[in-house]
Amino acid sequence: MAKPVEETPYDDLVVQAKTEASALARLYDLYYDRIFKFCVHRLYNRTTAEDITSGVFLTVAGSMRDFKGRTEQDFRAWIYTIAANQANAYIRKTSRRKRLMENVVATRRAAEPGVSPWSQLDWPALYDAIGHLKPEHQTVLTLRFFEDMDYDEIGRIMDIKPGTIRVTLHRLLRKLKEGLQDDLGGDL
Amino acid sequence: MFQDEHSLRKAIGGMNIDAEPRSAHREQLRRQMLATFEAAGRSAGASSQVAAPSRMRLVSVTLAKLAVAAAVVISAAWGFQQVLRLSAGPLTFDQVRQATQKMAWLHAVVTEYRDGAVRTDQQWDSFDAKKTYTLTADGSVLHADYGSAQRKFFYSPQVKAMMVTELPRRGVWGAPSAHTLVDTFAVFADQDDVMVSESSDQYAGETVRAFELDRSDPGVRVNGRTVTRLRMKLMADPDTRRLVAAHIEKQGPRGAVLAREEWVVSYPQSGPEDVYALGVPRSVRVIDQTAQVIGTPSVQARPISTPGDTGRSKLVPVKIELPKALFIGTPQPNRVPNLARPRRGPRPPFLAPPGTTNVAAGKPVTSSDTEPFIGTLDMVTDGDKEADDGSFVELGPGVQHITIDLQDRHEVYAVIVWHYHQQPRVYFDVVVQLSNDRNFKRGVTTVFNSDIDDSAGLEKGRDLHYTETNEGKLINTKGLTARYVRLYSQGNTSDELNHYIEVEVYGRPVK
Repeated sequence: MAKPVEETPYDDLVVQAKTEASALARLYDLYYDRIFKFCVHRLYNRTTAEDITSGVFLTVAGSMRDFKGRTEQDFRAWIYTIAANQANAYIRKTSRRKRLMENVVATRRAAEPGVSPWSQLDWPALYDAIGHLKPEHQTVLTLRFFEDMDYDEIGRIMDIKPGTIRVTLHRLLRKLKEGLQDDLGGDL
Repeated sequence: MFQDEHSLRKAIGGMNIDAEPRSAHREQLRRQMLATFEAAGRSAGASSQVAAPSRMRLVSVTLAKLAVAAAVVISAAWGFQQVLRLSAGPLTFDQVRQATQKMAWLHAVVTEYRDGAVRTDQQWDSFDAKKTYTLTADGSVLHADYGSAQRKFFYSPQVKAMMVTELPRRGVWGAPSAHTLVDTFAVFADQDDVMVSESSDQYAGETVRAFELDRSDPGVRVNGRTVTRLRMKLMADPDTRRLVAAHIEKQGPRGAVLAREEWVVSYPQSGPEDVYALGVPRSVRVIDQTAQVIGTPSVQARPISTPGDTGRSKLVPVKIELPKALFIGTPQPNRVPNLARPRRGPRPPFLAPPGTTNVAAGKPVTSSDTEPFIGTLDMVTDGDKEADDGSFVELGPGVQHITIDLQDRHEVYAVIVWHYHQQPRVYFDVVVQLSNDRNFKRGVTTVFNSDIDDSAGLEKGRDLHYTETNEGKLINTKGLTARYVRLYSQGNTSDELNHYIEVEVYGRPVK
């Protein structure tokens, strides 16, 4: 059964924000921190996260008048979709992030010689493993574990069935557990 | 090892990622976003205005086929509309000037095309205070106070001095007593031999009102060549009536274009408080030439503040203990722009007033990275300057900073920083600031800045990159008073991370 659409106190705000700058500014205040944090968790770099966050909100500002949604839930799915797409596009066109995390991991491992990254769960190793996943898969993990979203909401943002998200997450967990290096073949 | 979602969530929760946003970015983006929203609205409005007459034309054609009388009615209505439009009157330049000069600040990004090169300057005008500030692409600052002071200030980072002169009688485009773009245009427009043409034009997809003039022999030069013709085109928003853009062309003999400027104008709420806000070092040598210039007798040369006397005759060498060197000489990392050449021999003694000591020893340190990868923040002031493992704190990638609280106001004469001297590294975007405000929002003095491309977002710096050695980097702070010392960096030539072995602050308490 489809999850009923929840009404929020901000639904009117979304409608108003299509024509009123003050309403858009309130939406911005509601979502700036969330989107910035999402970008930090996706990109591990505050400066890059600020750039992507800027891109997201400028896209929203340019397209808000044409936005078809009418509820905060619609807006939330829309803005996270923009953020996920822009972060993934950035990751695809730059290898800096991967190099960045490899440096962090290498330094950490050098500081703890003889300790296998998988003998205990330390975060550089986890970052490293996440960094080897496809960008879309990383988005699923970020939305699920950093943004605390349920399968339905992740599905709306990524335009994928909730059941597929559930299966994908299961596979991602297995893949991370095994520390595999190859990309996951999945339904995404 | 995680077995399920719960255990992975727990692991991720332990990552302690610093994702706190910066309020400066939040506010800047808010303004950009709302401006984009308004611009998108205007664009949509313009499109619908274009579409409406098209529909009207279609209807009128159809009606014309049906009945001549209907066409007559439509024509009459159209004519009536034109009469109404004419009676409203077109936007005049005086209206533009008034609306523009009502604003608190005008900010212009000026792109100049000259001799095959392109450069971008910025200008701020405060019409109330009668002040203009120009920051050029090479870091020079030009400030004209055309109010009561009638002074011109020019700072050059190459000369490392600020010249103060009386304000010239002509502005930069040659108009007498005009130092802003709109004033210059108005002065030229009032001259008998100058014709001003007005038209509707398009700029950035918007309909604007354009005002153009040609001025022969304005009496200015470009790179030593006389400008024989000056063409100015100012564009104003018909709704706000304010200037939004301008094109200026300076021509030489036979119509050769010597230089061309494109102005994009905005109206911020605030502007620079003084020349120091645009990167002029507070310690800069000021050369006041107004006393020697023959100017208006009633204008008295104002005393210009100069750096305070630090009692140089009473200075004594400061004892600085150095850690052992882990490499000989100073091999230079490749491909680092703006890199200082290594000094031959040891650093000369640093002189400061008697009683100057390391006032940072043992003082508390905070950081933008609250969870260092390696080490702890107290290592920055623990007195251990050796480059061994276990002597440094490692902060995360990106722009990171540490702040030392001296726990009281001090006269600070030098800051010495050892980032990491096991290898001859260069740290990027090193910025050192002093302040009495723990949040570094007020009264901040930047005493060192090697961020040559402003990638750290703290303003463009002009100091040279340097190679880490066991001597550390000594920054002369000339006795500034401060309680807090903040140091920024953004990675280094070996990795993206940030390190500190030790920071010493030489000073003495304020009496």
